[in-house]
Amino acid sequence: MVTSARLAASALLLATTVAARADVVEGSSTTMISAGQQLRGTEAGQLPDLVKVATVFEMIRVSAREVRNPLFQDLEISFSGWGSGDLQDVRWDAGTTGKLTGDVTTAYVRGTLAKGTVQLRAGREFVAAGAGRMLQLDGGDVFLRLPAGFTVSAFGGVPVAQRFSSRDTTRSWNPAGGDLAWGGRIGWNMALAGVAGRGLDLGVSLVNVSNDSDPVRQDLGVDFRLQPINLLTFVGNATYSLYAERLAEFNVTALISATRALTLNLDVRHYSPDLFLAANSILSVFTDTNRTDYGGGIRYQFTKAVNASLDYHLLIEPGKVVDTTETGGEGVARVEWSSSGAVAGGEVAYLKTGDTGYTSLRGYGRKTFGKLFVAGDLTDVLFKQDVNGQGSSLVGSLSGGYQLARSLSLVVAGRAGVTPYYEQQADFMVKLVYNSVVRVREVK
Amino acid sequence: MNRHLVLVVAAALSAACSATESKPEARRDPPFVFPHSPHVEGDVDCLECHASITKAKALENRVRHVQLPKKSETCSGCHDAVPKLQIPPRTRDAGLNFNHAAHLDRLKGEKNACVRCHTALPEQKGTQYDAPSMNACTSCHNHAKDFAAARCLGCHQDLKRYEKPVESFKHQGEFLKLHGGLARGGAESCASCHEQTFCADCHSATTVPGKPSFVYPEDVKRDFIHRGDYQSRHVMDVQANPASCRKCHGSAFCTTCHEQQNLVQPPGSTTLPRNLHPIGWGTDKTSGNFHGDAARQNIVSCAGCHDQGAASLCVQCHQVGGFAGVSPHPKSWKKTDADRSKNSMCAACHH
Repeated sequence: MVTSARLAASALLLATTVAARADVVEGSSTTMISAGQQLRGTEAGQLPDLVKVATVFEMIRVSAREVRNPLFQDLEISFSGWGSGDLQDVRWDAGTTGKLTGDVTTAYVRGTLAKGTVQLRAGREFVAAGAGRMLQLDGGDVFLRLPAGFTVSAFGGVPVAQRFSSRDTTRSWNPAGGDLAWGGRIGWNMALAGVAGRGLDLGVSLVNVSNDSDPVRQDLGVDFRLQPINLLTFVGNATYSLYAERLAEFNVTALISATRALTLNLDVRHYSPDLFLAANSILSVFTDTNRTDYGGGIRYQFTKAVNASLDYHLLIEPGKVVDTTETGGEGVARVEWSSSGAVAGGEVAYLKTGDTGYTSLRGYGRKTFGKLFVAGDLTDVLFKQDVNGQGSSLVGSLSGGYQLARSLSLVVAGRAGVTPYYEQQADFMVKLVYNSVVRVREVK
Repeated sequence: MNRHLVLVVAAALSAACSATESKPEARRDPPFVFPHSPHVEGDVDCLECHASITKAKALENRVRHVQLPKKSETCSGCHDAVPKLQIPPRTRDAGLNFNHAAHLDRLKGEKNACVRCHTALPEQKGTQYDAPSMNACTSCHNHAKDFAAARCLGCHQDLKRYEKPVESFKHQGEFLKLHGGLARGGAESCASCHEQTFCADCHSATTVPGKPSFVYPEDVKRDFIHRGDYQSRHVMDVQANPASCRKCHGSAFCTTCHEQQNLVQPPGSTTLPRNLHPIGWGTDKTSGNFHGDAARQNIVSCAGCHDQGAASLCVQCHQVGGFAGVSPHPKSWKKTDADRSKNSMCAACHH
């Protein structure tokens, strides 16, 4: 744990030094204070306690691109992290019992060799390719672009744990957890000339995660993207659990760009929830039920300023009786208007699952007046079954911001509402944001 | 740990400060002083003023390729005296690999060939320069294969500098729904424009300071997950799509809050947790509330409180020789005795 923090600090100091030789340096600092109340449960039959939570956050992002060096082209160093101090009670998601805490979100060095055909990255990063499921990793990866449209990527490292405190799957916030992860993907693409994007991409991938030698994930994935003609794209993937010897999921989407204004999509999703639990979880051995969703959506751009969309999926869920199914549904309808410096929208979301569900109504808007902006949103949720004895929830937020200087902005936001767990709820937040982009290479 | 994290934050602050203080920001471009349109309409050759561009093999930094003629018959046709213009410095960084010399060589003999690409020229008092669009390139060059494979760095030095992707890569319509599937096969294409710090805003549930709508309440337009009163809705969402939760959140993330709500007994605590389960949950299979049926329907919900490895509550009854007395495994369960001896999870029940 201590070693990890020292390594991170060392990497940052190295980044500071190297940034001085970079051609593009972007930096951002956000200082934020938030205050409100949170619940703390007590013994059965007693009302929960309300505690005051006030936290100061400092969030930093620094990235240096085109760092001059003798080896790599397009060398990039990227860091984002944060620290916080709880002034009163420790907030629920602090991740520690101490009042001072923080974490490194991403911190990596990435460089390319041989005119971009080789790409190397090392540090705290994500694995997005293949069956990676955005696995957050302390490690490295390599990507090779080979002749005839083939690509090969490989990764290895340790799944990230919150606050450097636990690699164990049963205590890590990372769904993979574990102490070792490795895998890769072999891809092939065939681009069809004529229309940008037209072609076929195929990939086979492997992800292996273990915890103290016990398997956590052993997944074999396949993925594809096929765009045979300009207006039609198919995207799909499937993951097979080598450990459980069962299909974990498959997803296929057809996207039809009927006109410049009209897009349609049709989806099928099938998955086994137990195979998304860590394989070394006791709970992973109790069930093998599957779920399937069928649905689609339509989006239409009425004018340059107005668009609307509608999305619905039928949910086929396991029934209460063995080998039976129940049906549910989820849908979202949305209308949005935007013009220079202003946006306003409304959406209705619907969910029915088992005996429960909700309908939510949301309206939002934002308007810019020169250096000033105002934004707000209001959400009303009507529950199908009472939650904590209440049938609805109403929460709204109002934000305002002012550009104090060219790169410096102040944002003030407040949130208030009535929910099943809070008769009255109010949070307050003040944020000072500093953004800077420095380009060293200039054309005069 | 906290002492070291303070060190991390201090180092980050140091990095940010050095990055912003060590170099001045690029200045705003001053207004243009030269009226291009009357000269183009008057058939003045561009090379009268931009002669050195014919030898430019790259868009060199700090080189403008502008030299007004000191004495020229071209000028004297309209001007009594050659106007003395002070050409202001420009600060624009093209960020492209482009060989003017090679292109102009192919267009030799064509009058004002430059206008084929430079369709919009700057005028007096204008501060915005409309550089040739990518259509100017693709009207001659068929880069369809490079484009499809996102091999952009042959021409573009860096795509991250663009505020919005070029027209054909614009993330319009239903891109948000598709982006996960597209990233599986094209993560390196995403990386051409986006650093992973951008992805982390939504995908780094393990290490971020809070959910996106908490950090960015003013971004009301963005499709942030878990907006508003999510505390009341999360039980329903996990029932509707349990796998979606598990793509970002491990069991311990749920337990962190559930312990504070006294729904789970923290290690070492003597306070009994509140029991939210209905009557018949434990053993009554005819009640309609039996926990085994609920677990079969949605095991991920159980994991929100009861996933503590060998210390899980389930083990007390379901271990071999335990109170439950029947195998809890589903029909498809295939593990062999050999696996049990090697796997600590199996060993929790199979002593």
